[in-house]
Amino acid sequence: MYNLSPALMVILIAGSISTMAYVLLRIRKEKMQIEDALFWLLFGALLIVLSLFPGLSIWAAHQLGVQSPVNFVYLFILFLLLVKLFLQSVKMSQLEEKIRRLSQTIALNEHTAEHHDDALGNAPQADEHK
Amino acid sequence: MPKADILVVIPAYNEEANIVAVVQNLIENYPQYDYVVVNDGSRDHTAELCREHHYNLLDLPVNLGLSGAFQTGLRYAYRMGYARAIQLDADGQHLPQYIEPISQEMDKGADIVIGSRFITKKKPINLRMFGSFIISFAIRFTTHRALTDPTSGMRMLNREMIAEFSHNLNYAPEPDTISYLISRGAKVAEVQVEMGERTAGKSYLNMRAALRYMAQMCTSIFLIQWVRKRETEEVQPYV
Repeated sequence: MYNLSPALMVILIAGSISTMAYVLLRIRKEKMQIEDALFWLLFGALLIVLSLFPGLSIWAAHQLGVQSPVNFVYLFILFLLLVKLFLQSVKMSQLEEKIRRLSQTIALNEHTAEHHDDALGNAPQADEHK
Repeated sequence: MPKADILVVIPAYNEEANIVAVVQNLIENYPQYDYVVVNDGSRDHTAELCREHHYNLLDLPVNLGLSGAFQTGLRYAYRMGYARAIQLDADGQHLPQYIEPISQEMDKGADIVIGSRFITKKKPINLRMFGSFIISFAIRFTTHRALTDPTSGMRMLNREMIAEFSHNLNYAPEPDTISYLISRGAKVAEVQVEMGERTAGKSYLNMRAALRYMAQMCTSIFLIQWVRKRETEEVQPYV
């Protein structure tokens, strides 16, 4: 009863190994920054470990009182991905803010350049630092 | 140094049908104010028209949305040292004749003055105003201040607010920001104004967008503002 089904094990192993292979391939093609690739490498490695050693999830499920080991696997992956999603969301927010700042600065600087001989455009009296 | 005390910020997104009339009116009839048009990455001829007429223009390379565009104008106001800035919509709904009374109200010491349609006039009861009611209620509930027209875009900011709006994240020119600022002690006043109908072109406020806006404002006013850190305590903006 406390066991992963053979079919699920095969899927897990195949899935984890191909994820790992894909991640490595993309990193080699330099489509991704190392810092971002690191998560997926570790994640792939974790999947492989989980699929090769089902004893781990069986043990963990038992310790936590989770009924079936496969539920533990789901829960664990779900949690990891949730955290990752949240971090992505934070990062995206920061990127948007940066793009906004940059676009504004471009517009402001362009204006200054266009009106450089204009009394108005001269010497911004207080520049921002942020 | 700026010629005037007051900078009129005109955010414009795809407003080729209205922009010339709005700016021309300002230049010819209200020369006492400086203005700047912020073209928010329009896909039409808004920017070209402004260049053709030699209007004072900030041209954003990409579309940032109203809050990003308005903030650009405020950064400009801050850099140039303006004492006050007011948002004037490019679609002709905001009438510049009310800048004077709004500014006079600010003389009495307010940080933000809102041009309200409903101080002396009753709010009409229709679907559009239903949203306004709810936001008014939300602000009253959280700040114990009654604002008659929280969604009015015609707002004047003093120098302190210009600095704060231009330096910080999450300072969209929207009711939730007003609510947040009231709760941390900013003085907000209202002045009765009339608003014109949009003269040409199409408003992008459809039913779906309106509902989304409402939901976002209410969540923001009721929930997010409580967890917000007081940003000005961290940054040193008023240089």
